[in-house]
Amino acid sequence: MRSTARGITIALALALAACGGTTSGGNGTTSYQGKTIQLGAILSLTGAGGVYGPSSKNGADLAVEIINKSGGVNGAKISLDTRDDASDKAQSAQVAQTLIQQGNLLALLGPTLSNSAVAVHPLAESFKIPILAVSTTGINIVPNCNAPSTVPCKYVFRDSLGEETAIPTNIKIYAAKAHPKTGVLMVANDDKFSSDGGKIVQNTVGQYGITLVDTVAFSKTTADFATPVTRALQKKPDVMFITSLGGIPATIMIEARKQGFTGQFLGGNGFNTAKVSKQAGAAGVGAESGSAWYLDNTFPSNAEFVKAYRDKYKSDPDQFAAQGYAAILILADAAKRANLTFSDIAGDRNRLRDAMETVNIQTPLGPFQFTSTHDVRQTVWVILMDGKGGFNLLASVSPS
Amino acid sequence: MTQQVLNAIFIGSIYALFAVGYTLVFGVLDVLNLAHSAVFMLGAVITYSLVALHGMPFLPAAIIAILVCGLLGLLIEFVALRPLRRRNAPPISALISTIGLALIFVAIVEQATPGTLFGWLWQDGANSVRFPAGTVPNPTYHLAGLTIEGTKLGILITSVVLMLVLGYVIRYTQIGRALRAVAENRRAATLLGINVDRIFASTLFLSSALGGLAGLLFGLAISDIGPYIGRDQVELKGLAVIVLGGMGSIPGAVLGGYLLGLIEVLAFVRFGSNVEAGVAFAALFLVLVLRPQGLFGARLRERL
Repeated sequence: MRSTARGITIALALALAACGGTTSGGNGTTSYQGKTIQLGAILSLTGAGGVYGPSSKNGADLAVEIINKSGGVNGAKISLDTRDDASDKAQSAQVAQTLIQQGNLLALLGPTLSNSAVAVHPLAESFKIPILAVSTTGINIVPNCNAPSTVPCKYVFRDSLGEETAIPTNIKIYAAKAHPKTGVLMVANDDKFSSDGGKIVQNTVGQYGITLVDTVAFSKTTADFATPVTRALQKKPDVMFITSLGGIPATIMIEARKQGFTGQFLGGNGFNTAKVSKQAGAAGVGAESGSAWYLDNTFPSNAEFVKAYRDKYKSDPDQFAAQGYAAILILADAAKRANLTFSDIAGDRNRLRDAMETVNIQTPLGPFQFTSTHDVRQTVWVILMDGKGGFNLLASVSPS
Repeated sequence: MTQQVLNAIFIGSIYALFAVGYTLVFGVLDVLNLAHSAVFMLGAVITYSLVALHGMPFLPAAIIAILVCGLLGLLIEFVALRPLRRRNAPPISALISTIGLALIFVAIVEQATPGTLFGWLWQDGANSVRFPAGTVPNPTYHLAGLTIEGTKLGILITSVVLMLVLGYVIRYTQIGRALRAVAENRRAATLLGINVDRIFASTLFLSSALGGLAGLLFGLAISDIGPYIGRDQVELKGLAVIVLGGMGSIPGAVLGGYLLGLIEVLAFVRFGSNVEAGVAFAALFLVLVLRPQGLFGARLRERL
């Protein structure tokens, strides 16, 4: 009974999306009965990105299961081949190469880390295979995946909210509320996601009257934060910006509170997992970040996702699971409208790519569309850590 | 600045404790046990597992973890070292076989999630975790602008006491004399009636128990427990420490540990993180050029 209801919701979402797509020419009636839509994913299931990759995988797997149970995409089943890149850039490129050379995959998801995307996305672009980033939030992921070249990449999309949107939105909301004067930035400078976040903070704070009194850089493999935190607190800042990966934000918060810091923590996507909130515990209460998703949003496409996720995995989803899940909905919707032939793989990839540009569906992230540069266009949810492994919603900011 | 020196002393104690076990094996067996960092990691992981997954109080959990790590040392000896020694394989073979064991230990933890074969040991895969709040009381003192944590103070005291005890054992006890004899000359020791195989096994047990202890103290003080803490945090640094102090020298390893902690922290404060590791390894290079035998290594003096 439950799964029927779920199936109906998905079917409705897809039907709705199909309506939105008709203007662009897809008729959505081609039957794919008996065919399989083969997708690949390059995710960081181990290593530094191991905090995020497994969530993305769970979300994507769940969506595949639900869609297949409710009749597939115009009758076609989806299969998803997920490979681990161990959070390593070179390994990520190698895994992508292997998947692409199989020659039967319609599209790819991933990779988990921005650092690896720099290697993988240009590869997908040159092989003309659509790739949908599900968790990368750094600068220049889309559209110019070949940065510093500014030629937009045609096959690269992303459904994960970039730090260029999340961090400034969060700073704006906090500054309007608390009017902080001074801040210090703690940034891992040997990781693209983290150092990009740092640059965004540096470029943003001035607009809101905040002076950055110090920037403390460290390595993503740092474990003992006593030294960096001691240095950061010397100038007695009002707020501490943290742009880093994995468990590091939590470790910094705990250390800073031990050393007597009473100010505010501000961050970006690095804060947005239950694991980080849980690890930070009491030290993290009130830590504020811009997020692509919020657990307790009650609109149907999210409520349905959260319920299905809890049923399958016996735990709460996080932002990365929601983005992985949304990615499969996006690809399924595009595939539905793309009039795939299942014989001409290169042509099918192009048709899918074209259909992806006009996706307009309901996802757990909210109403979803791509911008003209293939980036996500969605609401930003500003959230606060609750000290118990969860988050409270402070504000929501619609796309301008 | 004083706070930074304190920070250096705390992290230095852990480096020292780790390096002492590392150098002990090198001194006695003449092989580098590269599985030492994996045992360090398991020391933290097993303690965490007993406390967080099996509800045990910290102290018994720590003691069990240290003993298990000691037993893993025996495993290293019997699986990775002894068979090769029997065939007179060169030391480099032993080095490779210990790397193999290290990879297996790390993979066991990294792949463990609830419901898998090792789910009883670890449930967080590649993630790092920390001890539940309140596992050990951690009063934090603020004195004259300095922050001193109870756990870190405890670690400093534990490390210093243990290293003194180890020094005493090696210098003044029967087993210590046997250890030094074997380190000096394996064949002569055999002729004197020392059971060399047993000495090797005890060395591995002792070294790994110390490594496990260093790991669990690291997990407690730094709040970072996960499959990669050995590889990322102490493997190369430990090697640097024992080279700095003189291969096989215990006082050298202790001094090297504190020195590396200090160099790292000062480099961070003075130059920032980009050069932190660079400065530490430049110091190492300098020592190698000026004193190839290390700070405490004696070219011909007895070992350990």
